Amino acid sequence: MDSTHDLNRRKFLKHAAILGAAPLFPGGRMPEQQPQAEQVPSGVVPKKQLGHTGVQVSALGLGGYHLGSVGTDRAALEIVAKALDHGINFFDNCWEYHDGLSEERLGKALQGKRDRAFLMTKVCSHGRDKSVAMGMLEESLRRLQTDHLDLWQIHEVVYDNDPDLIFASNGAAEALTAAKQQGKVRFFGFTGHKDPSIHLRMLEHKFPFDTVQMPLNCFDANFRSFETQVLPEVTRRGMAALGMKSLGGSGEMVRHGTITAHEGLRYAMSLPVATTISGIDTMEVLDQNLQVAVNFQPLSAAEMQSLRDRSRYFASDGRFELFKMTTKYDGKVGRQQHRFPTEQALPL
Amino acid sequence: MQQSSSESIPLRQFGRHPVKISALGLGGHHLGDAPDEKTAIQIVQEAVDGGITFFDNCWEYRRGKTELWMGAGLKGRRDKVFLMTKTCPHGRDASLALQMLEESLHRLQTDHLDLWQVHGMAFDNDPELFIRPNGAAEALTKAKKDGKVRFVGFTGHQNFKVHLAMLNTGFPFDSAQMPLNVFDSNFRSFEQQVLPELNKRGIAALGMKPFGGHGDAIRAGVLTAEESLRYAMSLPVSTTITGIDSLEILRQNLRIAQNFTPMQAVEMTALRDRCKVSAADGRYELYKLSLKFDNPESRIAHGFPLDTQQSEVRDMLGAEQNTGHPFPEKHF
Repeated sequence: MDSTHDLNRRKFLKHAAILGAAPLFPGGRMPEQQPQAEQVPSGVVPKKQLGHTGVQVSALGLGGYHLGSVGTDRAALEIVAKALDHGINFFDNCWEYHDGLSEERLGKALQGKRDRAFLMTKVCSHGRDKSVAMGMLEESLRRLQTDHLDLWQIHEVVYDNDPDLIFASNGAAEALTAAKQQGKVRFFGFTGHKDPSIHLRMLEHKFPFDTVQMPLNCFDANFRSFETQVLPEVTRRGMAALGMKSLGGSGEMVRHGTITAHEGLRYAMSLPVATTISGIDTMEVLDQNLQVAVNFQPLSAAEMQSLRDRSRYFASDGRFELFKMTTKYDGKVGRQQHRFPTEQALPL
Repeated sequence: MQQSSSESIPLRQFGRHPVKISALGLGGHHLGDAPDEKTAIQIVQEAVDGGITFFDNCWEYRRGKTELWMGAGLKGRRDKVFLMTKTCPHGRDASLALQMLEESLHRLQTDHLDLWQVHGMAFDNDPELFIRPNGAAEALTKAKKDGKVRFVGFTGHQNFKVHLAMLNTGFPFDSAQMPLNVFDSNFRSFEQQVLPELNKRGIAALGMKPFGGHGDAIRAGVLTAEESLRYAMSLPVSTTITGIDSLEILRQNLRIAQNFTPMQAVEMTALRDRCKVSAADGRYELYKLSLKFDNPESRIAHGFPLDTQQSEVRDMLGAEQNTGHPFPEKHF
């Protein structure tokens, strides 16, 4: 993701009315205003098993991309500190987020607190050699001010030939194995937001991934669904499923008004996942998410079905899952390596 | 339809029907990129004289400009060509599709179309919206019954699964249009998944995007224009539609088509192999992976964001040009 998306990401809490009325979205309607006065209850975010690893992680994870979108270092540090105080220990990041700013900020925020965090970042070799991946690992460790990661994932497996490139001789899969052997990472996995078939081809290689990250939300259930096609496979293999894009990537589903932020997050967290990673760039969004996640109670099967039914019409063409349907959520480095036009030349 | 004045481009059968069309078709969208109406008319007339009989267009191209220009170019030549345009309900009602038909006939200065297709099946729910009660399927049936169109079909460039779902609606299509080029053969392939099905059912296969839409692979030196076009024309299709925005491109394509001899199977395999690596991530088929080639009408009907860089959107939103006319007034 490039920083040009910042304007649209997560601002719906403050600017819902303006964005909801945008004339270019004729299907849109004005969302209900979220009540903001609600307090975060006392208690903590519950922990869940991370697949077969024997490790427990918080059911809500803090997304790394948005840490780089926060206006100041200080505000980003405050978000991390408050998240830790409420029991969030899963911290997501990525080598390519904001050209390293997201990792640097998280590194500062975790100074002296590294042992309280389950720290993940991602590698962005995008088809290049193992040595490129290993070089990125060293950079990530330096920015994050640590000597090891709890989890290292291959980022953005979204192009059809990515599985072939990753498992080619001297490819990224070999880097994962080497990093684990060297004790620099405890666990490894991969991420992607595009197509269940690409995830399934990654799994076909029978590589011992510890984790698999994917978009999971109540719209996904009815459109090119990771929930129905990938999640059961991941669970069956004892791997940990990590959910993301619970509200469409930038709150598209909430802005449109089909679901509230609370409903979207509760749905995603009620699935059989180890954690749901959520991008948080203001205290308001953190509080909104903590209201759901502290002392989390999953939805009943009937409540989940009702949310899927409510979302079904707008799910069926992918209009609020642009990461599956367009190039909007595909990052700069991957585009370069795959010889795709830039985000400016191909915005959607 | 009469024979064209020149028979130098091979003619092929239109699916199961005893009608012949030229193996090269003139794409309507790029006609709107011609510098002015005069050039566009010249392109159309020279194309007819060069042996092209198949003319493609669409209600939503360039806000009507391409239909108007093609209509002007075909004045006095209507009976020499097989004229197609497309309707753009994008999931909306049959009545809207029929209203678009009347507009298209008016712009094209004719009382009937040889082929009318439903444009841009792109989204997973398009087939369901097409076949529903009061959907576009009913418009196709009515237009045919009323004698306003001889044949009906559908088009799309996103996803072969959507094409297969359209075929599985059971609607009696005469044609189906899809991207066919050497890159497609190795990437989410219409050639492999859809083309054999059409041949089996006697539905005319209309190829498009023989150069990948904008010719990026040719500019990158992966293959030549001649190789691209010959590959596409060597597939079992009724015609290959290609966008032409200048007399220079027209003459290049006419020359290739007039001298056309089909590639041998071994040549086709060699070309597929040469292009395989750059086909594998879809970099030269962005229409399958992005909304780059999806027109505003389609995005609006499906609630997708518009691309403000797109020519249609610029025409639509540009304050200076937005006169309420279908395209900038100065062209009238």
